[in-house]
Amino acid sequence: MTASPSTKYKAEPADQILVAPLDSLTLVYQRRSGITHIVAEPAPEILAIMGADALTVEEVAQRLAAQYDFDGTQAKDIITERLNELADLGLVERCHA
Amino acid sequence: MSEDKNPANLLNSPTNRRRALMLGAATASAIVSVRPALAQSAASIVNCDIPVPGPHGTGMNIDSYGKLVPRDTPGSFPATGQKFTGEQVKAALRGRSLPGTSADQSQAYVNYIRRLQSGQSGFTCYASLQMSR
Amino acid sequence: MHEFRVQVGPAAFRIGSQWKRPLDQLAELYRDYPVPAIPDYSVRLESVSLLRRFVRPSVSINGDYMLPDAAPLPLAQGLLAAEMAMNLQMALGWRRHLLLHASAVEKDGRALIMTGQSGSGKSTLAAMLGHRGWRFMGDEFVLVDLDTGAAVPFPRLISLKNEAIGAMMATALDGRFGPMIQSTPKGDIRHLVPPADAIAAMSRPARPALLLFPSFGFDPAFREVGPSEVFMRLTQASTNYVTLGEKGFSALTRFVQTVPARAIDYRDGIEAEDLVNRLWAECT
Repeated sequence: MTASPSTKYKAEPADQILVAPLDSLTLVYQRRSGITHIVAEPAPEILAIMGADALTVEEVAQRLAAQYDFDGTQAKDIITERLNELADLGLVERCHA
Repeated sequence: MSEDKNPANLLNSPTNRRRALMLGAATASAIVSVRPALAQSAASIVNCDIPVPGPHGTGMNIDSYGKLVPRDTPGSFPATGQKFTGEQVKAALRGRSLPGTSADQSQAYVNYIRRLQSGQSGFTCYASLQMSR
Repeated sequence: MHEFRVQVGPAAFRIGSQWKRPLDQLAELYRDYPVPAIPDYSVRLESVSLLRRFVRPSVSINGDYMLPDAAPLPLAQGLLAAEMAMNLQMALGWRRHLLLHASAVEKDGRALIMTGQSGSGKSTLAAMLGHRGWRFMGDEFVLVDLDTGAAVPFPRLISLKNEAIGAMMATALDGRFGPMIQSTPKGDIRHLVPPADAIAAMSRPARPALLLFPSFGFDPAFREVGPSEVFMRLTQASTNYVTLGEKGFSALTRFVQTVPARAIDYRDGIEAEDLVNRLWAECT
């Protein structure tokens, strides 16, 4: 599925994962697969900010910007990359708008 | 730390004080996954790089124990920040020399890589290698 | 079929063999251990297939079945095979605790846990400390309680290799040693019975207080190891982390968040003990 600006992303429900932040990395245990993912910033922050909603990249970026300070250049490209990574891990699913 | 209620500090009120987020970090976010399968997990193992030495060691040599030492230390090896791939380091951990290095130099480099700590460039790549079974 | 039974920590083993001699040897070395009524694992010396990680390849287990007129295994090889077979049962089958491939000793109700690859010295360090004021808890596996996080003893025969054999024979002057097993690919191996206090206290857990990653053969040094690095290394050192699922995740996460960790380099027992004492004082 090619991602378009209208592609929506939805995170694994919060009650389906266990999250343990450590020093520089975060552990995410996924109940349904039994897999432990070790992820780095900004992946855990993105998951948390998405909550239970299906969001476009733009919407994720807006939510992040409201809560965090970051360099906005190329932010959408970077966030798209991170979301695709999380989708590959199975922590986020892509859905049609 | 108590909230500062001084009106002169309104601009620093909590709603305006956002935590910095490392959005544009150079490496991927997905470090490694521990899964109940025999097969290798992450593409990050193949694609990641370990520079020897990392930026924190610029201008220093590496001794045979893998420690950063001044340039003129006898018996130490020069290092230029050359990047080795996860695959190359994996082979080196099994005994093959790192490309472009002598056996002793390779061993010194491997010891350097083994000593990498969280936060140093190449650590997460090396740690991913540790996960391989 | 001859039979030998032994309780080690929370695990009960039954070992069967067509030959009496290997079992007599085991029984002699394990003579002070409890004898369980009901075994958790049954092991047959002559029909085991072992994971490569636990095999010292010089022990030739002749296929799945023994021929009735096959020559008896040398005593020493039988002993090694039995120890490896017990390791394998634990590694593959134990679910009641989180298993870490590590050694441990205890002082004042707190456990010092040492983990690392072969050659790191974790077995030898535990053996040495266990004879120098600490209570030996185990040299192969550390069992972590899934609910409380306590370290549970698993004090099997201590497996010493090469130079460690001589060193321990000099340290444990009253120690009871098994036969010398020579010319395995890892060199010479000799088993040492854990000290009496270790056997007597095999049901007494301890709270993990310090985790060490030892490296033998380097100038003495130490560094702090952060929780994420510890986590990664321990998933590698655990044979049952993934099979335990959520309980494993919770137990290991709690462990790395609460137990300080250091990597230590050392060249001999004196340097190691010095580092251990220093770090123990600092962290407990």
